[in-house]
Amino acid sequence: MTAVARFFETIGRRTVQSLDEVGYGASLLGESLFWLAMGRRYRQPVRVEATMLAMLSFGVSALPIATLLSGTIGLMLAIQSLYSLGLFGAESFAYIGIAFGVVREFSPIIMGILIAGRSGSAIAARLATMTINQEIDALQVIGINPVRFLVSPVLIALVITVPCLAMWANLVSITCAGLYVSAALDISFMAYIRDTMSVLTTHDIWHGIGKSALFGVLIALVGVINGAGVTGGAEGVGQVTTRAVVQSITLIVLADMIFAYISTH
Amino acid sequence: MSEQPAPSHQQTAVPPGEHVVCRPSEAELAARPKVIEVDHLDWSYGKRQVLFDISLDVRQGEIMMIMGGSGSGKSTLLRHLVGLMPPLPGKVKLLGKDFGTLKPMEKLDLRRKIGVAFQFGALFSSMNVAENVKLPLRELTKLNEKTMDIMARIKLEVVNLSGFGDLMPAALSGGMVKRASIARAIIMDPKLLFLDEPSSGLDPAVSSALDDLILRLREAMDISVVIVTHDIDSAFKIGDRITILDKGRILASERVETIRNNKNERVQHLLNRQAEEIEVDPTEYLKRLTGG
Repeated sequence: MTAVARFFETIGRRTVQSLDEVGYGASLLGESLFWLAMGRRYRQPVRVEATMLAMLSFGVSALPIATLLSGTIGLMLAIQSLYSLGLFGAESFAYIGIAFGVVREFSPIIMGILIAGRSGSAIAARLATMTINQEIDALQVIGINPVRFLVSPVLIALVITVPCLAMWANLVSITCAGLYVSAALDISFMAYIRDTMSVLTTHDIWHGIGKSALFGVLIALVGVINGAGVTGGAEGVGQVTTRAVVQSITLIVLADMIFAYISTH
Repeated sequence: MSEQPAPSHQQTAVPPGEHVVCRPSEAELAARPKVIEVDHLDWSYGKRQVLFDISLDVRQGEIMMIMGGSGSGKSTLLRHLVGLMPPLPGKVKLLGKDFGTLKPMEKLDLRRKIGVAFQFGALFSSMNVAENVKLPLRELTKLNEKTMDIMARIKLEVVNLSGFGDLMPAALSGGMVKRASIARAIIMDPKLLFLDEPSSGLDPAVSSALDDLILRLREAMDISVVIVTHDIDSAFKIGDRITILDKGRILASERVETIRNNKNERVQHLLNRQAEEIEVDPTEYLKRLTGG
């Protein structure tokens, strides 16, 4: 086979594999929602305790690092805004860029990337280890649906947790940015907050929350698809974990761009 | 069950000090209902066929040992028996029900009557031993916590693990993991128990104790047991019937008393732990090694 033929064969195989994974992801999402809605009827409800534990692990435990990151982002945005707007004497309008930037873009995407790295990898590693240790098989033979038991709680937890973290990030970023800007421009902090509140609408807040929820879905599905598709031993676990993080972050950035385009046109 | 003939167990001669094995006679087993029926089962992984026209049955209360060399299809057959793989083509019936044709709720009901202990235990590493054992009860029943605790303690006592419920699986020895896995498999009082390589990686004393445990379970719960194993001593000690697989085909499926006399050369090789003699052409062998 020539190198050209091999090249096209590789492209074809990867395309089919990607489509296969997209289909698997869609079926996982559908099945998770099915168990959420119909679990009780089939005597297999999605456990609230499992969902709460997942929320604790993905959300509450991530609060310190989320606070640090969002505070830093707020300060960074404030510094850059004052510098760039100061070039043509418009520093007093810095709050507009900071408010929109934080609420519509930075909080959702930074929290998405943080959770993809922190929890997406953990989901993939856990599923992969369970697959290798035949724990998934054990669930099936016991009569416990693995999607209901493992995927649904994670999915629900991330759909709730990532928007909550994004809201927290909004609060911290705007506060930190406000402290810096008010000190730099010698205005009161409350005046800065009032100006910020005057430009933000609920639509902007929902924009960020909607995006964050979508990122939560992506992180959960990518983690599960990679974890369940593990082959080999410990090396395989490492590979799917890395793959899950890279894919999640890539998809988050792509989805963010598409979401931004659709919501502004 | 009341219509079945009175037990006429045959005792197998065992060295002093070991558990006395009471086997149901062939006639007694023949009078019992079939609880597992495999009918013309084939299976392929891609282009590689691993099971060829497998047909076998297991009677109620019978201990069936499935043996064969590595890659003979034992584990694949077990995965079909426990419903982890669809029997296409072919049929696998458990307790008279065809897994392939059942609706989800019927499948769930059937699964409650099956216990499976995997080769490496497959205990959930995030739960302690007691939580592992209780998991089927927690997820599939509406029992309260106290009742579940009592039931888990009883099953752990049965497998000689009482007092170990609070330990995490990582803290258990290989034999304890297997026993905990069996405790989880029997927590729902199944009618069928499947064990994958229960004695692999265990020292002879622990392996023998596990054999005794399986016999005790059969006697106490009147369950049918299917065991995939490489352990010939264990197979002859506790099995009622031995099925030998070779390259995906059944070579023999006979009572333990008669299989020793099977004339098939490969059966004899396996039972006498002899490596298969393969005639090798020295020139071909050299070519294969050197890549020439």
